[in-house]
Amino acid sequence: MTKYTLTNGKTVTKPFNKIWIIVGSVVLLLFLFSRLIPYDASFIKLGELRIIIVKLFTPKGNRTWNDYFSYIFTSLIEPLKETLNMSFAGTLLGSLMAVPLAVLSAKNIVKLPIIYIPARTIMNLFRTIPAMILALIAVFFVGTGILSGIIAITLFTFGIMSKMLYEVIETIDMSPVEALESTGAKKVESLRYAVMPQVLPVFISYLIYIFEINVRSSTILGYVGAGGIGTVIKDNILYNYDRVGASIILMFVVILVVQLISSLVRSKLQ
Amino acid sequence: MNRAEEALKRKPKRWVMNLIFFVAMIVAIVFSFSGSKINWSRFRSIGHSLRVMLAGFADLQWDFFFGTGIFQFKEGVVYLTLVTLAIAFIGTFIGAVLAIPFGFLASQNIVGKHVARIGEAILVIIRVFPEIILALILVKGFGMNALTGVLTIGLHSIGMLGKLFAEAIDNMDKSPLEALDAVGANIWQKIRYGVIPQVAADISSITLYRLDINVRSATVLGIIGAGGLGASLILAAESWSWNILGTILLAIVVMVLVVDVISSYLRGKLV
Amino acid sequence: MIKFVDVSKTYPNGVQALKNVNLEIHDGEFVGIIGLSGAGKSTLLRSINKMISITSGQLYIDDVEISSIKGAELRLLRRSIGMIFQSFNLVKRMSVFNNVLTGRVAYHPTFKTVFGLFPKEDKLMALESLDTMGILEKAFTRADQLSGGQQQRVALARALTQRPKLILADEPVASLDPITTVQVMDDFHRINKNFGITVVANMHHVDLALKYATRIIGIKDGEVVYDGPSAHISDDTLVSIYGRSLRHDEVLGE
Repeated sequence: MTKYTLTNGKTVTKPFNKIWIIVGSVVLLLFLFSRLIPYDASFIKLGELRIIIVKLFTPKGNRTWNDYFSYIFTSLIEPLKETLNMSFAGTLLGSLMAVPLAVLSAKNIVKLPIIYIPARTIMNLFRTIPAMILALIAVFFVGTGILSGIIAITLFTFGIMSKMLYEVIETIDMSPVEALESTGAKKVESLRYAVMPQVLPVFISYLIYIFEINVRSSTILGYVGAGGIGTVIKDNILYNYDRVGASIILMFVVILVVQLISSLVRSKLQ
Repeated sequence: MNRAEEALKRKPKRWVMNLIFFVAMIVAIVFSFSGSKINWSRFRSIGHSLRVMLAGFADLQWDFFFGTGIFQFKEGVVYLTLVTLAIAFIGTFIGAVLAIPFGFLASQNIVGKHVARIGEAILVIIRVFPEIILALILVKGFGMNALTGVLTIGLHSIGMLGKLFAEAIDNMDKSPLEALDAVGANIWQKIRYGVIPQVAADISSITLYRLDINVRSATVLGIIGAGGLGASLILAAESWSWNILGTILLAIVVMVLVVDVISSYLRGKLV
Repeated sequence: MIKFVDVSKTYPNGVQALKNVNLEIHDGEFVGIIGLSGAGKSTLLRSINKMISITSGQLYIDDVEISSIKGAELRLLRRSIGMIFQSFNLVKRMSVFNNVLTGRVAYHPTFKTVFGLFPKEDKLMALESLDTMGILEKAFTRADQLSGGQQQRVALARALTQRPKLILADEPVASLDPITTVQVMDDFHRINKNFGITVVANMHHVDLALKYATRIIGIKDGEVVYDGPSAHISDDTLVSIYGRSLRHDEVLGE
């Protein structure tokens, strides 16, 4: 705290700025956490980094550039289809499953804590488990392949979509619901005519956004056996870096296109 | 009556389009499944699998959890969870610090339309690059340890954080900048006194939200050797040791929930 | 006919909004309810279609005691009563036509309404109501594209499409400018005269209530302190309802 005395004798005290508490705690946490991260100059092999990048993005051994790119358009097409299929089916199924849960979690629609508290608990449980772990569990139950990918993406989407959607439902304009109730409409009918028109455009925009996330994370799902491009990357990571590099280039382009389409459609919806 | 009937003819017919849309969706979903070679023998044993999983969950390994008994503390789930948190926290911090200049570079308010386009493009490229692939590359240069995790999360976070920071800067009130122009401030002074006080809360809130996401990522990145819980997780998964998996899963759920609660509490305070 | 017998309403927070109200409103009347804000006008109005449940007394609509009805019976009652709100309560993103059509929802089984399946007569009914309100040409525009006055007419068309015998209006013109206010009040007058629909309206502007309503009910602290024809109301009576002389915002002035 600093005290200032003006020329006319009045004093003003500048209060303690809370920002220093925040800065202090961040610095302290950084210090404590950094002790858990092993660091040794011998870890760092920037030369290796350069070599791996060259290996990823040039043909291996006696393969030609032609081989490098034709691999993308022949062998990678099927895995790419798998990746997109499982992202699409999982996003759509998970989002549809999320709708009832989101409605049951919304305090303004369901006024009973006995319903919305358990609903939110289910939602949070699914939301905390990373998609990769859902995929691991799915692989255990149904074996490797895109079905476990679909299951993992469905459950992951179910978790985040229900959370995002219920937040939207809780902020809608409730006055049309009142109007519908005054005409003698049932609860379902108020939902259909007063809530749905307000929520639908946001729902579709979220659907596209989550699809984008899912295409990106499907890479890692393949890594634990859920099919698609991720599986190709995992299978080749030890010996065929050029195949991995080609997969990376393909994923990069696909995600870029998905992201561009997604932001285009979403900006149209607003 | 006539007027109403005439008007009804003018009604746009949307149901045809809607029907086509729904049928297309259903066909697409069915098609998506058709590619999955369903392993029926696994399906038949789902009941058995479930029993195995639940039996594992009922037999959580507390020595392994706390790193006591036959386990070293540094092998325990608690320690690994702290390492995972450390990776996420430091990674997010690095990402946020690096994202601030990118945020300014992609903000039309600060650098104008044309430069902002370039800034945005850079951020899109960073964002598009899947985290796991980044980790696969970095692991060669920085080794199978937590440092790789920190760097992966730090670099990957720049993409989304930079974009959101730029949006925050673009949405702020521009009138104080005008006032600073009027007192003769230069660009750095304008940023210090006109921009930072306005966007600091938003930037902190966005970063906290990202921390939430990164805690999950930090868990996952471990599976390719980037430190934290992931390595033990994938080892346990390969032998389907559900008692060990369950122990790790418990830690993950608790960690994610705790960070989620703290982060949303702090974000609530910031608004 | 609406009949209040010793009706009281106490909210869970202890506020007593209505105290032993006894009233009879006959078919075809145009009733204006006036009083200070917080006097219980809205509670009185909303108890009629049970948007608010009363805590004691009896309330009869056409000789049916409504304080105990619920479920299908309650929805049937609400179906026969149109309601108009201060902020129109339209679904802003939906077309005017679909908004008006929601007045028919309670007439059909849920499995049909959920898929938006309405018979052609209903669609024509909705369009006719819009024609009655003079906004037929706006039928297929989105509700949020309309001005406030037009939106309130859409709400009136929705109420008319219910084929109600009674319309309740809760501060119907409070969000409108003076010119549209007069137009919308004229619409209420027309509906009351031409269709014989009973209108019960809460009014903030006392002069409007006196001009359009045939009967005035004055409420003060949850009690009916005046009930009589609007033609005979004196300045002294108004002072007794409001506990003071009127402020200029309580008079529209023309």
